Order: sequence, then C-alpha cells, then structure tokens
Amino acid sequence: MTLTDILALSPLLILAACALVLLLVAAFWPEKQRLPTALMLTGLLASLYCACLGYVSTNPLLTPWLVFDSLNSYFAILFIAIGIATTLTSGPFFKRFEASQEEYYFFLLSALFGLLLISSANDFLTLFLGLETLSIALYVLCGYMKKWNLSSEAAFKYFLLGSISTAFLLFGIALVYGATGTTRFDLLSKITAQLAGQEKLLFLSGIAFVSFGLLFKAAIVPFHIWAPDVYAGAPNPVTAFMAVGTKAGAFAALIRLFLLTFKGVDPLWHQVIAFLVYPTLIFANFVAMRQVELRRFFAYSGISHAGFLLIPLAAGGHDAGPSMLFYLVVYTLATLGSFAILSFVDDTSEGVQLKDLKGLFHTSPMLASIFTLCLLTLGGIPPTIGFFAKFYLLKVAFSAGYYGLVIVGLLTTILSAFYYLRIAAVMFAEPSHVEKQVTRSIPASLSGVIAFSSLIILSFYPEPMLHLFTSIFK
Amino acid sequence: MTLFQFFLFPFIASALLFFSLHLKKRVLKAIAFLFSLVPLAVQVTSGTAFLGMEYDVPWLATLSIHFHLVVDNLSLVFLYIVNAIVPISILASQSQRIYRANFFYGFILLLQGLCLGFFTSRDLVCFTFFFEAMLLPLYFLINSWGGPERQKASFTFILYMIAGSVLMVAAVLSLYVSGNTFDIDTLATVAEKLPYAPLLCAIFLLAFLVKTPIFPFHAWLPDAYCQAPLSGTILLSAVLSKAGIYGILRVTYALYPTLMVQMGGLIFAFAVAGMLYGAFAAWGQTDFKKLIAYSSLSHVNFVLAGLFVFNPMAESGAILQAVNHSITITGLFLVAAWLEDRLDTTQFGRSYGLASYMPNLAWLSLFFVLSAVALPGLNNFVSEVMLLYGVFIENPYFAAILGTTVVLSILYMLRFMHQIYFETPSPFQANWQDITRKEKLIALPLVALIIWLGIYPGPLLHQIAPATRLETSK
Repeated sequence: MTLTDILALSPLLILAACALVLLLVAAFWPEKQRLPTALMLTGLLASLYCACLGYVSTNPLLTPWLVFDSLNSYFAILFIAIGIATTLTSGPFFKRFEASQEEYYFFLLSALFGLLLISSANDFLTLFLGLETLSIALYVLCGYMKKWNLSSEAAFKYFLLGSISTAFLLFGIALVYGATGTTRFDLLSKITAQLAGQEKLLFLSGIAFVSFGLLFKAAIVPFHIWAPDVYAGAPNPVTAFMAVGTKAGAFAALIRLFLLTFKGVDPLWHQVIAFLVYPTLIFANFVAMRQVELRRFFAYSGISHAGFLLIPLAAGGHDAGPSMLFYLVVYTLATLGSFAILSFVDDTSEGVQLKDLKGLFHTSPMLASIFTLCLLTLGGIPPTIGFFAKFYLLKVAFSAGYYGLVIVGLLTTILSAFYYLRIAAVMFAEPSHVEKQVTRSIPASLSGVIAFSSLIILSFYPEPMLHLFTSIFK
Repeated sequence: MTLFQFFLFPFIASALLFFSLHLKKRVLKAIAFLFSLVPLAVQVTSGTAFLGMEYDVPWLATLSIHFHLVVDNLSLVFLYIVNAIVPISILASQSQRIYRANFFYGFILLLQGLCLGFFTSRDLVCFTFFFEAMLLPLYFLINSWGGPERQKASFTFILYMIAGSVLMVAAVLSLYVSGNTFDIDTLATVAEKLPYAPLLCAIFLLAFLVKTPIFPFHAWLPDAYCQAPLSGTILLSAVLSKAGIYGILRVTYALYPTLMVQMGGLIFAFAVAGMLYGAFAAWGQTDFKKLIAYSSLSHVNFVLAGLFVFNPMAESGAILQAVNHSITITGLFLVAAWLEDRLDTTQFGRSYGLASYMPNLAWLSLFFVLSAVALPGLNNFVSEVMLLYGVFIENPYFAAILGTTVVLSILYMLRFMHQIYFETPSPFQANWQDITRKEKLIALPLVALIIWLGIYPGPLLHQIAPATRLETSK
C-alpha cells in the first residue's frame, strides 16, 4: 500500500473513520449538542476534498474490486454533496424533535459509504456490498423515530420488500457468474460479447434479475410500490436522502453496468427498459396530481424523474451517459432545495400537507421563492435549467429513434407542470388564518440558498458542466 | 451597447427588483418604470445602427445550441411593441393595491427580457426556450395579483399554453436530427425536404396559434384577460398575442413556405370564424371588460386571416395591424380599468350617462373606440385598408367577408359607449371623479401614437416592407 493508494481510498476511509468517531462521541460526550453536526460536516468536507483530488490507484490488491475513474469521482462528489445537504437539512429536524443525533449521523455515513462503494465497484460483489450497506442503514433510518407509527410501518415495509429485491439481485449475480465464471466487470465486458447458446441465455436471465434489483432501488413502475409509503413515513431529512441518494446510487450502478460494462448487451434489454418508461411516466404523473402530502408527492414525482432517467438508458449511444449525469445533478439540486424548504415547516410526524404551505409567499417570500424555483426546475419549465436537462434526454432518445418515448415524455410534462405549479399557486395564495410556525434554521437555509444559486448559475451557463460530463464518457 | 447587453439589461433589472424587499411601493414603481424604459431609449437613440445588430456565441456547445440574436426589420417592429407597451403597463399598475410589489415589477421586467430574447433569437432551441419561458412571469402575474377567479384563470391559461407548445420540442429535435442544425436560417433552405415536414409544420402552427389565439383554442382568453391585473391584461393582449404572430412569420413562413400555402385555406377559415365569433361574442356581452377581451380576439383573428392569404400587401397590412392592435387594445383596457375603478363593477346597465360626470374619460374612451373601429385618420384605418386591399386582390369575396368585421366592431363598440357614457344620466355618486392628470399622462403616448400612425405611417411601413419581402420571397 503506497500513499497514493491510501489517498485514492481516502474518501471511503474518512467516512468510515468519521462514523466510528461519532459513535465514540455518543458514548463519552452525549450532552454536547453541536459537536456531532460539526464532526459530521468536517468529515464530509474532508472526504469531499479528497474525492476532488481524484487520486488513482493501480495497486493489484485494489483494482479487481474498485475502479478509480472520472465517473467514480463524479459520483463520489455528488454523493458526498448529498450527504452535506442532508446534514444541513437535518438541523431544523433535531431542533423540533427529541432524538439522538450521533446514531443518526452514523447511519447516514454508513449509507454514504455504501453509495460510494456502489459507484466505485468493479465487481458484482463490491456492488452488492455497497447496495446492502446503503439499504441496511436506510432501513434503520426510516424507522429512526421509533414512536411514529407511520415510520415503523415504513421501515418494516421497506425492509421486507428491499430484502426480496436483494434476493433477486443476488440470484442474478449467481446466474451471471454461472454463465461467465467471473463477477469482475472488466473481465465481463470482454467475455459477454463471445457468449452464445445456453450460456448467453443464462447470462441474459442473470442480467434480467440484476436489472430487477436495481430498478427496484430506483423505484421504476412496477417495482415502485414501496416508495410512496416509505417516503411518507421516513423523517424529512431521510426522505430527502432517499429521494436523491438511493436514486442516484441505483442509476450509478445502472450506468456502470449497462452503459460501460455490458455496452449494447442485447437489443432486447433496451426494448424492455424502453417499455418500462411508459408505465413509469404515465402512472407516476397521474398519481402525483392527486397528492396532498408532500413527502408522498415527492415519492411520485421522484418515480416520474426516474422514468425520465431511464430514457437515455433505453436509447443508448455516446450521449446517454452525459445526459443522465446532467439530469441527475439538476434533479438532485432541485430536490434537495425543496426538502431544505420543507424542513422549515415540517413539525408533525404526519409530514407536510399541501395546505400547510398556504400563503408561505406572504410570510416568508424568500423561502417561497427558493421552493418555487426548485419546483419549476423539477417541472422542466423554462427559463430554468430543468428544461435543458429534459431537452438533452429527449435529444438522446430522438437521435436513437425512440420517438414514442419523446412524445410520452413531452406529454407527461403537461401533467407535471400542473402539479408543480399547483404547489407554487398554493404558496402564492392568501395566507390562512392559522399561522404555520416556521422553524428558523441557518444550516437548512444555507442548503436552500446553495441549491437556489447553483440552479440560477446553471440556468445561465451550463456549458462547462456539460462539457465535463461529455469528457467523462470519452 | 451590444445586443447582448441590450438583452441582458431587463434580467439584471428584474433580479435587482426581486431582492429589494424593503423599498416603498411608489419607489419600486418608479424604478421599474425607468428600468423598463432603457431598452426603448437604446432602440430609439441608436437609430439605424440598431438594425442588423447580431450576437452569436455557442451557449450549450455540447448540444450544439447557439445563443444567436439578430435584429432584422421584422424583429425591430415587434421589439418596438414590447419596449413601448411594457413601460405603459408598469405605469398603469395600481401600486398601492399590489402586495410584494417588488416581485410584481420584477416579473414584468423578466417578461420584457424574455420577449427581447424571443423576438431576436435565430436558434430554434433558444426561440422555443424563450417562447415557453414567457408564460411563467405571466402565470405568476395572473395567479398572484389577479381578480377573485385568478387561480382557475391562470391554470387554464398555462395548461393551454404548455399543451399547445409542448410538442414543439419534438418538432425542433426532429429538425435537428435530420437537418443537423438548430439555426433557423440554415434550416429554412432545407426544412421542406426533410421527413415529416407537414406534421412538423402543423405542430409549430398549433403552438403559435394557441398563443395568438385562433378560434377553437381561445377558451383561456376571456378568463385570463379579465382576471389578470391591469398590467397583466395589457401584456397578455398587446405582447403575448404578438408572440404567436411573430412565430408564424419567423418560423413557419421561413421554414415551410409552400406547405403554408397548402394549409393556408384551412387556417384562413378558422381565423375568419374566430373573427366573427369574437365579434358576435363581444356584441352579446353585458360586461365591458369581457367585451373588450372578445373584441381583441376578433381583431387578432383578423390579423391572422390577413397573414394566411399570402399577398405581400395583406401581409404588410397584417403586421401593421398587429402593431396597431397592441396600441389600441392597451388604450381600451386602460380606460376599461379606470372605469371599473370608478364604477366598482364591469357590468353594463347599472349606471348611465357617465359622460356628463366624467367628460374626459368619456372622450378618451371614445378616442380609443374610434381607433378600434378604424376611423379614417387613426391608426387602424391604414392597416385595415391595406389588409383588405391585399385580400381583395387575391379574392374579392374573402375581402367582403373580412369587411364585415369593421361593421361589427362599430356595432359592439358603440353599444359599449352608448350604454355607459350616453343615455339619461344616473344620479351622481361620490367616486365618479373624472380621470386625474396622472391618468391622462399615461394615455398621452398612446393617443400620440394612434394619431401619428393614422396620419403618417410611412416610417413604420418603411420598416415593415423589407420584412415582408424578405419573408415572402423565400
């Protein structure tokens, strides 16, 4: 192990070390209120810095398991940024509810560790390890508020359904191994092209099960049943983390597997993915229109965004990767911004109802403005950058000849414009007589303001980021 | 001042206004008014140098989208409309009744900036981007500051608009995939030979015609016009409807010259139907604001009818009529709003003979009404004669049908004048005060423009003539 190897691993190592230190802090200084958050943020920032340095290890002990490329750096930075935003958003939550912070942050860090493993996996086993670390931490986080009925139900549902999907994933990995004799991605990418006959059939069945496991995590219709209940039951910051983290994690794995490793694996796979886009977009958008509880609403809107992200995966081609990465960044920023604002008004275990936001524009115009911009971005309504994010995806689909996907994608944006604007309209309406208490919190405001300003800057000048993403896939 | 600075100025101004939360409403209005005058001042002072200005940089180079702005004769005419009407709409706002006035004026300036972009952009994606982006400030203006039914009105408005133009993205992508560029001028040479040309032409036409709006797609119009705050009504009727007309001239005329002629008959029929429908609906109204809204529908459809007979004279007339309609409809909505202030209702038949109490308002209303019914010597006369003459050359019977609109408009407009201002006066009420000096000053530029364009339209026709020749020669 040289210094370069350690530096290359350092984002992961720092997260693990920080998680353990937090447990010690809980044991020795349980009364210090601000210490856990400070430690957490320091650890995350250090990890972010190391991820930005982007060291590459060539150690033969590491490379069979982990891959150090620019795609991995991108995802590491995205995941750690999600972690930072979630930590900031948790501020008002702990102000309002009685709960210990150290364990919460420990599980959050474990989940992040899992995410980083997923994006850097060079082997099915590392990928599985990452997914399980992420999922187990999330099962606990969902039920973190033990006395909330909804929370316990959500955690239990998530655990049961999640385990089934994990079983499918494992079964798929076993089939792939049976067909090819390896679980390493770099070897698989060479072998799969030569497969024929029964082995090919075995391999494709394996891929189908693996896809099932990953699409479950990404909450694609018809594997989405868990998402609304789990999102609605989990505490607000945990929902924020799941909405962006789990989704980005699942797509990181899908990109790694199907855009890089099994490039052009089989036309049938692309057809099936394209076929899944239709129910996902149509179902999620129609159901989202009727939601009045915002965490549940974001579950459905998240499903519809996952549907959008599937479009380039189905279409393939050299622009598919960059367009997905760009869409993920925009979706992440807008969703985290929205949840930062929701955390200000979230004061019951039942979640934020649409009517709680009534007149928010009158009482706190800045919060309402940030939220509105995030919603418009999610809706892909110009002049926000959401328009170009969607435009890029659709361009990829159109170039590959998937006209049906383009049409459905465009038509469902009418529905999404309706439900995102509906929330904005509620905020702009006259305030109700019962004043909703707004918890002031500097960290959450910081998270909201960062999301807001990044979205504004991106709207004007997205080119450097697009250029960077294109270079990742060169 | 480069074209880019000219374009950017309103955006900076609106951003400044968005963040000035604590200024007095009167101050905000004054600042907004001065900001909105700047583009007009630049346009007037730079004179001939303004024509032909160009700005072209790659914006999203990865997606081969250029930020390409050009001012040609056609753009120039529409830029004059925008830059003249926006300051008037700001002056006309009743600042004391507007809460959070900084957002209100910020949205108006944002709309101005987006319009400047829309009327000059030559890249099809930028064009689409601005076309759709213009809806958002208008949506917020109606939704937050409109009348009692504003929520429903603004929703109908934006959903109609988005539904109408959403497929335009697919059309743009299709042009890109087969033509390999987003540049309108380059596409103009090849668009008709590319696949699906009739379908794409229909998609573009639908988007533009819903915005104008043409007859069967006008359902959003009465509510949106009547529920919007006065500034919003002026912007909707004077600026937004012109965006549709400009779109037809800029995109469909340039890209599909022969297809347009083939489809022209059908659209001409719809436009004539809309013209008559608007006129009869206006005649049947018992609400003078709705009457003016329907008269606007009728006049806009008259302009569209002129565009779809494909005669250069009719086309010049239609463009001039578009300018005149903007000026006159602004005047009409102004006097209607002032009347509403004094009567506290928009219904006919509550009070009569107001001319004896408010002579100045009565004369001003009469002046705008006479302009709308095309009295010789006022602006609409010139354009209507040109348009009818052009139609007459092509088909005398069509000209006869179109001519009925002149008669109908006299019928419904004079009915409005008669019922409100003349007949036996009702007993005097305290708030029936004549218009103030401030209100006279707001109306003065409109009166001057109406007389100037009525007596000496030469300079404007001089601008329009090359625009038409350019568009029809292609």
